[in-house]
Amino acid sequence: MHSGDLKTRLLRVLVAVILAVIGGLVGSAAADETCQSPFLPKVTGQEDYIYVWTLGVKGVADGNDSIVTVDANPKSASSGKIIHRAPVTGRHEAHHAGFTDDRRFLWAGGLDTSQIFIFDVGSNPAQPRLVKKISTFVKDTGGLVGPHTFYALPGRMLISALSNAQDSSGRTGLAEYSNDGKFIRTIWMPKEAPYGYDVRVNVNLNRMLTSSFSGKKNYMRPFGDLVKDAEAMKQFGDSVIVWDFHARKPLQILRVPGAPLELRWALLPNHHYAFTSTALTGKLVLIHQQEDGKWAAKDIADIGATIPVDISIAPDDSKVYVNTFMDGTLRVYDVSNPFEGKLIEQVKLGEMANMVSSSWDGTRVYATNSLLSQWDKPGDYWLKGYAWEGGKLVAKFTTDFNPAGRAHIMNFGSKVFGPKAARPAPSGERVSAYAAPR
Amino acid sequence: MRRGLRAFALLAGVAGGLLATAPLSAHEALSLEDEFVKGVFSPAFTPPAAGSYELPAVKRVPGVVLKDLAGRPVSTRHVTAGKVAVVSFIYTTCPERLGCPLASLALQELQAKLKDEGLSRHAMLLSISFDPVRDTPGQLAKYARIYGADPRLWRFMTAPSERALDHVLDSYGQDRAAVYDEQGRFTGRYRHVLKVFLVDPAGYIRNVYSAGFLVPDLVLNDIKTVLGESAPREVVRR
Repeated sequence: MHSGDLKTRLLRVLVAVILAVIGGLVGSAAADETCQSPFLPKVTGQEDYIYVWTLGVKGVADGNDSIVTVDANPKSASSGKIIHRAPVTGRHEAHHAGFTDDRRFLWAGGLDTSQIFIFDVGSNPAQPRLVKKISTFVKDTGGLVGPHTFYALPGRMLISALSNAQDSSGRTGLAEYSNDGKFIRTIWMPKEAPYGYDVRVNVNLNRMLTSSFSGKKNYMRPFGDLVKDAEAMKQFGDSVIVWDFHARKPLQILRVPGAPLELRWALLPNHHYAFTSTALTGKLVLIHQQEDGKWAAKDIADIGATIPVDISIAPDDSKVYVNTFMDGTLRVYDVSNPFEGKLIEQVKLGEMANMVSSSWDGTRVYATNSLLSQWDKPGDYWLKGYAWEGGKLVAKFTTDFNPAGRAHIMNFGSKVFGPKAARPAPSGERVSAYAAPR
Repeated sequence: MRRGLRAFALLAGVAGGLLATAPLSAHEALSLEDEFVKGVFSPAFTPPAAGSYELPAVKRVPGVVLKDLAGRPVSTRHVTAGKVAVVSFIYTTCPERLGCPLASLALQELQAKLKDEGLSRHAMLLSISFDPVRDTPGQLAKYARIYGADPRLWRFMTAPSERALDHVLDSYGQDRAAVYDEQGRFTGRYRHVLKVFLVDPAGYIRNVYSAGFLVPDLVLNDIKTVLGESAPREVVRR
């Protein structure tokens, strides 16, 4: 390699890039759910839709689980309203969902039946369409049960599971499928830390984290019964595993007591840490890389005995949003110093709360309130939208889900990812898609 | 070269920051975006050693007849037979910082590493254009020269028709959508996720790379991993 040649070539490419920038390709603020896979292209500008994977309720609509589309654009006449519902057949314990790496398809899983449903969201982003079902997850994977997190890898889907077919305990693993829906491999959790829950990758560090929850015999049991069963309450995970992502090999097991759930990597490249929260012990926990390269876990805030469930991170890593199930509250922690979480905002959402999602520009936050069919309290089900105004979170809309089911996970959609860029590109808006760094 | 990539990212980021005319909130987000871009160009890890991990097949891809730089019809299978192929989809006028220019710079570095490691006879790079209309063989040849492509190791091809291109894109699982302006006119740009595919001698995709993970040392180790397998998969007949 001749350095002179290289410089010349780099210069040529740089000129091309700068010309492109002058042409107006760099533009408005990015907006998307900050916690998606780093291999997904970002939506730019206001998200148009929120896809909510919704638990079916007997006697409500057709009673089936469904992908419900909510219009999220404040400039739209139907803003904040349900504009489409795509049901599957039956109730499967609708839980989590995730896009493929090109955002053309949304995979959604059922924790009870272990069925996976693939929706086409690219052909018409306003109206997702069920195009494929995978009914062989348990058989394909050699006994994994309860597909949970759907995480886009290039050309593949990485799926964490919660349980297994042998004893319905929390011993579990990860599965990989091609984007076509073909099974590739199963990676079982190490014996020393057999539980699984969430999975998240940091591409800059080639590190993957997995967290831990509990098996099907616990999560499909009525919550009131479960908490009275002392033996059952011992069957929850207490670990976060650090993996070599590329090799898919565990490197280090961190003890994090109390069922650490959602994992959120910090987003800036020089921030080598992640956050999780523990459902049973009510802690906000920092997972950080030490100077010697080893990883460690540290409690940074005491959330309380309220069952923290979903968490979300601000795009500049300044804040972590925490939803707590029992008291239906959204808490915001300042984590500018990641070793100390300071409570800076608290919003009462309702009688219970589950998922929370921050937009990529950091100005909007959305929440839903269904957790598990056997754990939910009776009451209203909704999606709520909030925005930061004057340093406070201000309610913007509430979407009533009672006619549709129980609102669970949210995934943001955009017309930009429609067929042949269905929405014309406003000047100054970046329209090409590329994978986000993390 | 890694330093070169970093410089590229930083300069491109600076250009973006200087030329942005968006309102304050958007400007702030743009600065943040550039921080993310820098991260993509500066992966902070040493790839695991070749042969210390597995690369299970994702899917099999069929051969397809395309046009080479001389405009002759050539089968991709003929070109890649017996070798590990690194297949990318690009178009020569792609303006995205994290799109085709990044892929081609990474492949340029990979080409040098393959030569240094004496793997020229066992691996090859194949770049296929998204834009069969404008990326004529002549245009692709210019692009290949800019990136210093050695034709013995790095081949460029274009499709004889949109239909042929759609077939190859579908078989790999590579998205592509034309971008139109407000008047509905084609802008000359394509929306696509950057993907680079590692294909073994039997025609199976063994890994897929996108921005942030298209690290030449990592791809090199993957090539060595596939080449070092004790029981190679069936060899595709030409």
